Amino acid sequence: MKIAVCIKRVPVMEVKFAITADKSRYEETGLKYDINDFDLWAIEAALQLKEKAGTGSVHVVCVGPNAAQEQIRKAMAMGADSGALLETDTRNYDGLAVARVLAAELKDGGYDLVLFGRIAIDSMNQMTGPMVAELLDMPVVTNVFKLDINGATGRAERVLEGASEVVEFPLPAVLTIDDGLNKERLPSLKGIMAAKKKPLEVKPANLGDAAVTVRSMALPAERAAGRIVGEGADAVPELVRLLQTEAKVL
Amino acid sequence: MVFAVVLLGAGAFFTVSALRLRRWALIGHAEDRTNDPATRTKNLLLIGIAQTKIMRDGFGGLMHALVFWGFCVLALGALEILIQGLVDGFSYAWLLPRPLFVVYVLSQEIFCGLVLLAVGWLFYRRLVIKPARFAGDPVHGGDALFILSMITVLMVTLLLTFAMEIHAGASAAGHILSAPIAMLLGGLSSDAAHVLGRTSWWIHALGLLAFANYLPFSKHLHVLTSLINTWYSNTSGPGRIGAMRPMDLEAEDAEQFGAADVEHLSWKNLMDGYSCTECGRCTAACPANITGKKLSPRMIVVKTRARLTEKATVLDAVGGGTATMEQQAVLDKNLLDDWITEEELWACTSCRACVEECPVSIDQLDIINELRRDLVLMESRFPEEAQGALTSLERNGSPWAYSAADREAWTEGLDIPTMADMVAREERPDILFWVGCMGSFDDRAKKITVAFARILQAANVKFAILGQEETCHGDPARRMGNEYLYQMLAKGVIETLDGYQVKTVVTFCPHCFHQMGNEFPDLGGHYEVIHHTDYIERLLNEGRVPLNTEHGQRLKVAYHDSCYLGRYNDIYDSPRNSIRKALPVVTLVEPPRTKSRGLCCGAGGGRMWMEETEGKRVNVERTEELLATGADTIAVACPFCMTMMTDGLTASGSEVPVLDVSEVVAGQLRV
Ligand code: SF4
Ligand code: SF4
Repeated sequence: MKIAVCIKRVPVMEVKFAITADKSRYEETGLKYDINDFDLWAIEAALQLKEKAGTGSVHVVCVGPNAAQEQIRKAMAMGADSGALLETDTRNYDGLAVARVLAAELKDGGYDLVLFGRIAIDSMNQMTGPMVAELLDMPVVTNVFKLDINGATGRAERVLEGASEVVEFPLPAVLTIDDGLNKERLPSLKGIMAAKKKPLEVKPANLGDAAVTVRSMALPAERAAGRIVGEGADAVPELVRLLQTEAKVL
Repeated sequence: MVFAVVLLGAGAFFTVSALRLRRWALIGHAEDRTNDPATRTKNLLLIGIAQTKIMRDGFGGLMHALVFWGFCVLALGALEILIQGLVDGFSYAWLLPRPLFVVYVLSQEIFCGLVLLAVGWLFYRRLVIKPARFAGDPVHGGDALFILSMITVLMVTLLLTFAMEIHAGASAAGHILSAPIAMLLGGLSSDAAHVLGRTSWWIHALGLLAFANYLPFSKHLHVLTSLINTWYSNTSGPGRIGAMRPMDLEAEDAEQFGAADVEHLSWKNLMDGYSCTECGRCTAACPANITGKKLSPRMIVVKTRARLTEKATVLDAVGGGTATMEQQAVLDKNLLDDWITEEELWACTSCRACVEECPVSIDQLDIINELRRDLVLMESRFPEEAQGALTSLERNGSPWAYSAADREAWTEGLDIPTMADMVAREERPDILFWVGCMGSFDDRAKKITVAFARILQAANVKFAILGQEETCHGDPARRMGNEYLYQMLAKGVIETLDGYQVKTVVTFCPHCFHQMGNEFPDLGGHYEVIHHTDYIERLLNEGRVPLNTEHGQRLKVAYHDSCYLGRYNDIYDSPRNSIRKALPVVTLVEPPRTKSRGLCCGAGGGRMWMEETEGKRVNVERTEELLATGADTIAVACPFCMTMMTDGLTASGSEVPVLDVSEVVAGQLRV
């Protein structure tokens, strides 16, 4: 089975973000980067499929800056066989532009499956996967949390609000992976050493003019600190009053 | 003549056994253990000859020491007997001046008696008292009793040989035991006495040879190897002694990291296996084992030896040829998984109680650490809960997923300069206060941070913190076996510290203290790192801390020793002294397990980030013990101990407060 996984380099979220003076983007100094969490699960899903099948290959594709090679190497350390970086310095919010670049890259690869994370935790658009499917003229199943491949057909369970749904699809197909397909493995040192020797192709990508641009960005308002109204039954009337007048939830 | 042949045969057999053991141990990788002969000699004399570690175990220890010293003295006698076998009638009397010879005879008699007494007691202990640490010895059950019987036979026949010589008219000078025996048996005819004497001599002489040849196949191999093992043991001394083995990750051709099987361990680890007496002292001190986990440091060593024997025997049999299916199956096994399970390895808190306790200087923890390294570096296998900590270390430079921006949250309203501030003002602090991840993010530990900062300010110490530039040095990753992540983080920290030309670091976290002071040098980071208890004691001694002149509260404090401060770094007094100096009316009480025998809180070795579901919780065991002293306050000197003790007290429904040493002192500040 030949599988491609499309991954995104995203900032690690456990930091305090700052917005640039022109309000067009977040400040990049001091940020650390990693593979988007959902993409990690997509890689894990691909590796498990390959391990189960006993044969096949996992190819990782990333659209991003030169430094995104780090993320591709990490995917290789986890077990991916090869990788390609479609290099661009534009930070692009236009999903379609990214999808076009990816589709062009994947078109002649002969992949049985193309996996995406369900959503990128920085831009939260969840559109690139389905767009690539459309451009490649393949069926797409989104929000997959359970997966079974049998010959030329696949069976996936999808997450719905408070329910799940089982769908069948023919291969080749595009899937977007949700949390639930096992925790991703951490690369072993053996994997890290092996990754250094795996093929990584870097080629320029042209995203063209963006159809969508960010006009302004702002941090969420600080949450007010919690307040202790009082203790015991005596505090109840005051609490009720505040919930009615200030919080307006009653 | 007959004896000469027997002796030659026994000697040859023994040499073959000994050489085989040596060859097997060399299956392990090379390691230099010849530096620092002075310390090696000291260890040999103190731990080996003077039996200081054995004596930690009260009466039983003393008995064993007697057997050992008896052995040394009686070995002289054994030599005499063996020469007698070759040169008829030989006696040291031929070589020694008369008075010296009598002293020699006396020494033989005295030790013969003492050994018999000690053996009697050891029999009694094995058969009647049955200490818990001997229980469940699955490998060599009857071995101990067999050896004790053998020693008894050797002693009795020696005395009979002497007695019959006296019976035949030899001088009784110095023979305080055998002379009375000769008298008792005075009624024997001279023929009968001769037969008895010769028979005893033969039994004794053959017994000696049999004993020597039995040893290599028994746990009593330690009789032969323990002194050698003690000589080759880790000599690094406090601090360095607990440092993990350096590991070269850059080596291009390295294919194995850590140990999955015996050949990945060093020859010294394998020699440890030979030297283990299976006494169980280590396991009896192991917090994991005490609280019902499967881990037993003794079994770690015993299994290492058993796997070596298993594998090496097959390797010998195969020689240069091809292995049969069964042989291959044995070769394909591993020490890891087939003998020692993952579960055992992850239960270890790296507290070093086992190493501290071992009378023959075995390093059980070294084996555990090497196996953990293989699990993580080669196979990426670890408890699921640990993954969160490791991922966070990689992403956030802290085992907890907090934002670096929050590192300085505790400084609010305190006016604490960062290194960057200092540089901007063209100043240099005297010390860098390394806050640590716990001290930066954990709500309870932040209070310790503030308390210590207040002491520093009150004492007019010119200090700075790194603030947001501080990141974890990776020790948790290293202890969990992830050397790669550790080196990445540690090198980052060293770069930061060197960037500011830091010379002196003070920290209240024993893990930071140990890591930065004792393990950074292997990565090229050289700083004077001081634990805050040492630093506070120094400030108090210099009279720099303005204290309340009133006496303060009459607290009854039980101080809980941190492993990384105590057993790793030999710091036992400064926390206690600091408390006493700041609070003269304090009563310090000690639990039974204290100082170098203190019980771990359960958080070390990465256990902080793992679940503890099997058996009793270590922290509960420890807090119960501390509460039993009747203390009204528990003092700690480690933020990890703080968490574990606090949780343990909550679990026992106790309201006794836990204070860091710096909080006790800060409570007495005159401000
Ligand atoms: S280091 Fe501590 S927990 Fe680990 S085996 Fe030794 S005594 Fe047990
Ligand atoms: S390792 Fe040391 S303490 Fe433990 S059983 Fe063996 S000899 Fe005894």
